[in-house]
Amino acid sequence: MRNPSSATRAAISLALPIAFLALGCTPAVNVTTTRQTPSAASVPFRTDVNDALGKAQLRLVEVRVDRSPGGPLRAQVDVSNETSRVKRFSYKFEWLDAAGVLIPSTQSTWIPASVPPGGIATIRSVAPTDAAADFRMQVLRSQ
Amino acid sequence: MKMLLATSVALASLAFLGACGSRPGYIEPGGPESIVTPGEVDIQDIKKAAAVMLDSLFETGVLGRAKNQPAQLVIGEIKNDTSSRFDLGELTYRMREQLVNSGKALTATPDEVKRRMFFDPTYLPDYTLTGKITYIKRQAGRIRQTTYTFSLTLTDPSTGMEVWTKTDDLTKQGTKSGIGF
Repeated sequence: MRNPSSATRAAISLALPIAFLALGCTPAVNVTTTRQTPSAASVPFRTDVNDALGKAQLRLVEVRVDRSPGGPLRAQVDVSNETSRVKRFSYKFEWLDAAGVLIPSTQSTWIPASVPPGGIATIRSVAPTDAAADFRMQVLRSQ
Repeated sequence: MKMLLATSVALASLAFLGACGSRPGYIEPGGPESIVTPGEVDIQDIKKAAAVMLDSLFETGVLGRAKNQPAQLVIGEIKNDTSSRFDLGELTYRMREQLVNSGKALTATPDEVKRRMFFDPTYLPDYTLTGKITYIKRQAGRIRQTTYTFSLTLTDPSTGMEVWTKTDDLTKQGTKSGIGF
């Protein structure tokens, strides 16, 4: 292998800090588990035609529901941002009982959230009572 | 004639500008249309903090481990160590409503517990809820940033040990108040 010339070495030494500087603005690698199959708590989900997540350029990755140590159901929703900009949105969970009736709760409120470029955020909620059997989540894109 | 024309144009302009102004109307309390104030605690901040605290209380199951069922809780002192003035009842009443209506806890004020202890000196509630709201303010040029931290703790008065604690941070940034999250 040929030794790089002094001009090439200079170019590399200049390019590397610039590359690191550029990488500093966006995460280069997103660390995640090596799990390939859905979690045992993973549940099927439905996104409406008027897909607010899609409009916010976010992708729904997985929805998990299990019973919390305290008793009520808890939900986790993984949302990924495959763009190169931070995506801001707000979300609201509403919990329903087995008959599909809305359970009124002060926990049901709009919460602001964001996902870094190329990253994943897990948004979560815990049901207000043990009677909750299902939930729905609304998303609004922030300005 | 010119005067009449100028007056008509001025009136039409005023009517047009008036139509563009913000009309009074109702919005969802704490919803995305709410005003966001960078240096103040807004209603949506309080609602979010209450929701996060309740989520954690219900998830951990600390209320289910109390001697009495539903757990008996005293809403103790919650300090507002921020420069933003607001009624702390906005936070505690929201939490009390959910705790009591969910059937997981019964709440009382310190005065009510003192009255009960007067008649029954052996009485102790299961937990005391105390907390603090603090803030860190920073500015870079015209950009103002404030981080509010809501910290709540449940203490077992029989042992003095903390059995649950939770903090919720909220950072607001901007040059001036605006609408929406």
